Amino acid sequence: MEAPLKYIFDSIQYLKPEVAVSIFLAILVTVDLVLGKKNKQVLPYIALAGLVITGYFVTQQFGTSAFASVQHNIGNFGLIAVDSFGNYFKLIIILSSIFIVLFSISSIEIKQVFDRHGEYYSLIFGMMLGMMLMVSSADLILIYLSIELVSLSSYVLAGFTKQSLRNSEASLKYIIYGGTASGIMLFGISILYGIMGTTNLYAINTILQNGAFQPLALIISCILIFTGFGFKISAAPFHFWTPDVYEGAPIAITAYLSIASKAAGFALLIRFIKVTFIQTIGEDGYWQLLGVIDWKSFLIMISILTMTLGNFSALWQDNLKRMLAYSSIAHAGYMLLGLAVFSDQGVMAILIYFLIYLFMNLGAFFVVMLIANKIGSEEIDEYDGIAYKTPLLAVSLAVFLISLTGLPPTAGFIAKLYLFIALVDAKMIAVAIIALLNTVVSLYYYIRVLKHMFLTKPKVEGERITIGIADTVVLLAMLIPIFLFGLYFTPIVNFAKNSIALLGF
Amino acid sequence: MTLYDIIFYLFALVTISSAYLVVTVRNIVYSAFSLLFTLFGIAGLYALLGADFVAIVQLIVYVGGILILMIFGVMLTNKITNVQIKTGVFQILPATIGVGIFGGFLLAVLLNTNWLNLNVKDSPATTFQLGQLLMNEWVLPFELLGIVLLIALLGAASIARK
Amino acid sequence: MSVLEIIVFTVVKIVLILTVMLLMVSYLVYFERRVSAWVQNRLGPNRVGWEGVLQPFADVFKLLLKEDIVPVKANQFIHTLAPVIALFVAFATYAVIPIASPLKIFGYEIPLVVADVNIGVLYVLALTSVGVYAITLAGWSSGSKYSLFGGIRSSAQMISYEISMGFSVAGVLLFAESLRPIAIVQSQGSWMWNAWIQPIGFITFVVSAFAETNRLPFDLPEAEPELVGGYHTEYSSMKFAAFFLAEYANMIIAAGMIVTLYLGGYNLPFFNIESLGLANWLTVIIQIGSFFIKMGVLLFFFLWIRWSLPRFRYDQLMSIGWKVMFPLSLINLIWVAVLIMVFNL
Repeated sequence: MEAPLKYIFDSIQYLKPEVAVSIFLAILVTVDLVLGKKNKQVLPYIALAGLVITGYFVTQQFGTSAFASVQHNIGNFGLIAVDSFGNYFKLIIILSSIFIVLFSISSIEIKQVFDRHGEYYSLIFGMMLGMMLMVSSADLILIYLSIELVSLSSYVLAGFTKQSLRNSEASLKYIIYGGTASGIMLFGISILYGIMGTTNLYAINTILQNGAFQPLALIISCILIFTGFGFKISAAPFHFWTPDVYEGAPIAITAYLSIASKAAGFALLIRFIKVTFIQTIGEDGYWQLLGVIDWKSFLIMISILTMTLGNFSALWQDNLKRMLAYSSIAHAGYMLLGLAVFSDQGVMAILIYFLIYLFMNLGAFFVVMLIANKIGSEEIDEYDGIAYKTPLLAVSLAVFLISLTGLPPTAGFIAKLYLFIALVDAKMIAVAIIALLNTVVSLYYYIRVLKHMFLTKPKVEGERITIGIADTVVLLAMLIPIFLFGLYFTPIVNFAKNSIALLGF
Repeated sequence: MTLYDIIFYLFALVTISSAYLVVTVRNIVYSAFSLLFTLFGIAGLYALLGADFVAIVQLIVYVGGILILMIFGVMLTNKITNVQIKTGVFQILPATIGVGIFGGFLLAVLLNTNWLNLNVKDSPATTFQLGQLLMNEWVLPFELLGIVLLIALLGAASIARK
Repeated sequence: MSVLEIIVFTVVKIVLILTVMLLMVSYLVYFERRVSAWVQNRLGPNRVGWEGVLQPFADVFKLLLKEDIVPVKANQFIHTLAPVIALFVAFATYAVIPIASPLKIFGYEIPLVVADVNIGVLYVLALTSVGVYAITLAGWSSGSKYSLFGGIRSSAQMISYEISMGFSVAGVLLFAESLRPIAIVQSQGSWMWNAWIQPIGFITFVVSAFAETNRLPFDLPEAEPELVGGYHTEYSSMKFAAFFLAEYANMIIAAGMIVTLYLGGYNLPFFNIESLGLANWLTVIIQIGSFFIKMGVLLFFFLWIRWSLPRFRYDQLMSIGWKVMFPLSLINLIWVAVLIMVFNL
């Protein structure tokens, strides 16, 4: 007999952030119940407190690398790998969650469903817990469970307001697509288990290192599993849900899906490929993958498809949210290239990209939300001459969009720069050129918004749009880093460089 | 062919043929009803594999819980609102090609793979071992499942509320 | 024992149990009518045979000879299938309830239970949940709105109360550390009945059992004033009889389960029969007697309640299920866990 609760006590020291999130999830549900119909304004502040505490635990954990929830019968590999790579992504998730809670406080859409605030913040915390486990889980069962936790919460959140048909449509499309994707992924996992006899990624790696593999079954199971990951990061051809869901969901949730959920998906994909298929890491930081599956061509194909589809579809969009959805698909394509390099440098580029992408994409969504709060629409035509009504918001949106394009002196330039350096360094010049051309295409649709805002005369003279102090502060909190990291980027580069280490590799 | 094999093919036949009916039958109530037999067949396969606990839980959860709610929903929408819910078949050609290619792949995988044979000892009851595993090595996923269910509950309540 | 012997013994046991069950069901109906008459201060059936003891046979003959009517709007196949499911589930459940300790005869040791399944309790729960289909499908296939409402009501009710039932049983399982009904009976010994140790669980289980069997005060699926007859409104002849029999068989099973799980099963109260060192056959007979007496008392309790209490309203029924019984069964589970931890039981 094992000592009672041994497994819990052994690993709780590595799971402090997750435990904190779970506890605050319980607190939110209870407080919501106790407070009754009124006094729900405190909920976002409890959520913020929870996020800050979780963030503290995550920063405490930097530098640790250990297995949590160790399985003694399969070579002491654990279900969860606590390492700097995971912690970096956890930090991104927490940072974006903080911004989302701040967004929700000032969002009109969310205010309209005041009596369901308890559910709203609990679901956000549930989603966050799922994402934090996604970035650090090293076992297929846990991977599946955490993806499912994220999906379940986001299905509900996507249709949370229930105000319009579009909203419900988003939720329904998301759930049908997500259910199918996770079913396919589960099938892949079952095949993988059938040939490996274990669900632990590290254990699978050990088996593969010994040369005992069956290529056909391995390939099909990995393609099926990639379906699940591809759905989460909305990579083509699994991106079809993205525009509809992003357009229909409340803006705060759209922003959350585009950053946090995507970050978690990327972290999971990187960990899955690296831990399962790596053979050695060279002196120069290039990974030597086991020659089972040609991941490199596969990923390059997927990423070029993704960014091209995303960028070209964005050209025709008249709804800003929909346009940003396609742009986020394109950005996923860029970031996939960072993985396709298969080097530490590529992963570093992804880490830098995500941190900057967080600020610029959240910023763009925040401005869209603030304007939608006033004019009740996200159509680009409604933005005609909006710069004269609200100079601050228009200029900020311009900055965010320029940064999304990747022009200096904004941080977006740095993000793209490191990505291209990694590509060129790996002698993938052709791919780099395709990505560059894609960036040029993206310039068109980003600039088109600027044209509407600054150069077109408004059809009707509206009154000025003003925003409150709190919103201005939140806006500046995203605007300043764009310039700061655009000019002085050494700290984030160093931070990313220190965070590329996965447990064991 | 041993008795074991015969029983296996019997259950497999029940599962597959009723699963085929689920997707082809026009009347959605019959679809749901065929699903009942699919789930029974799967429970039988579990029992045959020596996973008695999983088999019975399959019955309790899927047959007793999930499917009955599905039939419930179908009954309510089908009869009360006088809308005849029928399923149809669209895009036969692309679907056939897609399913054919995928099925071919799977068949190739099935035939060309040395599937791992876990040497399961003839254990009389799996309940105890399952309990041990869930409370020790797999306690983390087990607890996480609790949270997943809580979130599902919250979400359902949120969708159902005005 | 060889395979053939096992098969022979099992078949004999199945036949025996079926016969006994059918007899018990018929006479339960008779007793229900007599008890209701007694409660309402009238006579009840007393003409066929001595004091009406042959009444059940007369009833069965009447139903057998009646014309079987299937409504035009009904779905023929499912309409016929539903009572079959009901009857099958009702009788199959009885396979795991032990009525006495093993009988030693002709050199064999025969356990007095059809199937000594090691997950017997779950088997009962699983079959109960399959039983919901009979009612749901009967309601749907009849093509009548009364039947449909009856079917929907009863399936919602059964699903809701299954939860508190399952959690109450979990308390019992914690004590017995087994899912085998025989082990549960043995773990209670002669006096440590689960009904004393976990009274809350006992109450929630009994209430849930009432709801699961659709008995008053939870008989909304067949509330006559609103629904004519509920899910079996459109049934006649032997199909109706099948539902009728299944309902009473379910009552007997519920009583048998309560006895097994909470009232010490076939053991005599406060007295260890095996310490007397009687002959095995005598012990077995006494134990069978003890089991059936306990069950009889419970069945009388079922009838008594039916003719004493009014029916709940539907929303009351649901809120009792979810807001009272479910939390209570959880409290019971915690209580049992604490007991085990503190007293190391």
